[in-house]
Amino acid sequence: MADVTGKTVREGVVLALLSLPVRRIRALRGTSGVGSGLQRAQSFMVVATLLYRASHLTVGALAVAQRRSELPLQYAGFAVALGLSALTYGTALRRGWFDRRHIWADALVIGCVLPLALCAWGGVREPPAIAWAMLLGGSASAVAAISLERLHALTVIALLLVTHFIGYQAVGASPAVILGHLNSIVSSAVMTWLFRWYLLRQGRLLDEANARAVAAEAHKARYAERLEHHRALHDTVLATLTTLASGAVDANAPEVRRRCAREAAYLRRLIQQTAAEVHHREIGAALEDAVGSVESLQLRVTAQYHDLPQVPPEVAAALGDAVREALNNVRRHAGTGHAYLTATRDPDARGGALVTVVDRGPGFDPERCVPGLGLRGSVHGRMAEVGGRATVDTAPGEGVRVELRWPG
Amino acid sequence: MARVITVSVVDDDRMLLDGLRTWLAGVPELRLVATAATVGELLGAPEAQLPYGFGRAGYAPPDIVLLDLVLRDGSAPTDNIRRLLRTGSRVLMISTVPDRSRIIEAVRAGADGYLTKDHDLPTLVAAIKDLASGRGALSTELAFACAHDDSPARPRLSPRERQILLDYASGLTLKSAARRAGITVHTAKDYLDRVKAKYQQAGRPTHTKLDLARRVREDSLDAG
Repeated sequence: MADVTGKTVREGVVLALLSLPVRRIRALRGTSGVGSGLQRAQSFMVVATLLYRASHLTVGALAVAQRRSELPLQYAGFAVALGLSALTYGTALRRGWFDRRHIWADALVIGCVLPLALCAWGGVREPPAIAWAMLLGGSASAVAAISLERLHALTVIALLLVTHFIGYQAVGASPAVILGHLNSIVSSAVMTWLFRWYLLRQGRLLDEANARAVAAEAHKARYAERLEHHRALHDTVLATLTTLASGAVDANAPEVRRRCAREAAYLRRLIQQTAAEVHHREIGAALEDAVGSVESLQLRVTAQYHDLPQVPPEVAAALGDAVREALNNVRRHAGTGHAYLTATRDPDARGGALVTVVDRGPGFDPERCVPGLGLRGSVHGRMAEVGGRATVDTAPGEGVRVELRWPG
Repeated sequence: MARVITVSVVDDDRMLLDGLRTWLAGVPELRLVATAATVGELLGAPEAQLPYGFGRAGYAPPDIVLLDLVLRDGSAPTDNIRRLLRTGSRVLMISTVPDRSRIIEAVRAGADGYLTKDHDLPTLVAAIKDLASGRGALSTELAFACAHDDSPARPRLSPRERQILLDYASGLTLKSAARRAGITVHTAKDYLDRVKAKYQQAGRPTHTKLDLARRVREDSLDAG
């Protein structure tokens, strides 16, 4: 009974592990996102602010091109704005989010230095000539609002407001123009911040819903598996125990003892398989079928599984068939009534599987003995079909070791 | 005739105790001297004497104690093993299911062997005799647990030791494992004993200065 309780506890642990992703997403709230919903929200914000900046750069290009007579500083200023924008947004597109240093450089150089430099040395004397550079301040404040921490973002916006106020004052802009411009800097920032807040919230909700769905799916799969085990337990262990308890049969009769040993071995393997935290059904189920088929023919199988890898279904089926045939060979030729089966991840091949079937029978001389049809066809042939390999190692008096590797 | 090996069993399953009593009664080289449901009951020591109690006065430690891995009193297997080792017995773990992380813990705590309860009498007797003669008891479960131990505290094994361990874990006899590796059975057994020694070495606690001093003393005794 203690074992059954242990299994329930372990399942509880597994379920707790499944709910971890949900908690992790919650814990990461407010930092750069890891979930797909968060990532998508961020990518969208990068593209949206890029389009905003692109529209400002287009205006700048037209303005600079129209005033060909102006000093080269206008061209240089535009080139700097273009280059810095390319760096900031290029990096963001590549990495999925902005580099804060780029944002600071963008705000300070394009937002603050550029307008002041144009006023001081660019030969600008009237508001329309500086308008394109002022316009860039709007997109600088928009991107700063979503990519910097709150205090930093507010500092950048304040700096932009001050320098732009000074810049427009210097070229003698009317109060209406100045006010309108400052208003656009602030509203750009507010709008992008609101967009970001909304999108991140939606992204987070989406991620949480996804994680819940995945957890529910896994829970359902485990439940189905447990039901299957319960059914198997009902037909075997429970039936045997009930019969023994009724006193109707002699518990010491050889066939009753064999049946008990077989069912104990089944329970033992079941516990081993479900103990692994990452549990891949395919390979375990295929081997279990093979073991079950020979156990009913009076062969005792000591099976040990460790860290079973995930393999394609056809590979699991081939391993199951090859193991069944190897076990049948033990039953027919070893004369010990006992086979050892191990299945593990192949330490030499990534994602590969390593399965051995061993007996302690008389073995044979591999030089003189032509392997029977079973070993050649059903073991070697079956493994070769799926790109695996079977190796038989034996010597007279030393049992037989069949090793199955996939990939071969 | 060889000396009779004294054996005690600690297990809380009455049926198993009865079964073992019947089994061992038929083996002249072994004598079952005591059975108990807990280590405390076997030693007859009040719990207050832990952890340095050596059991009640007059407790005659058997050569071998068969100890169930998971006892229903909730005691930690490693504590149980250490208590029994301090009395001078050697410990052979028995359990229903090969729970690998616990097997490793048990070996690190100083258990000399590990068997699942589905083995037959000759295997059990052979394991007890191995232990009594000062060697480790071999079992595929133990070899499998060590060969696939991926805990960070695992000792470093040489490629040869690992090879023998893996082959023995797969169910080969030691003789076949030795043949595959091109060495004698005797050498192969030495390899397996060395693996067990490495685990026990790694498991010796060195938490306090007193422990450290004791360990140095043990090491110098080993060397001498």
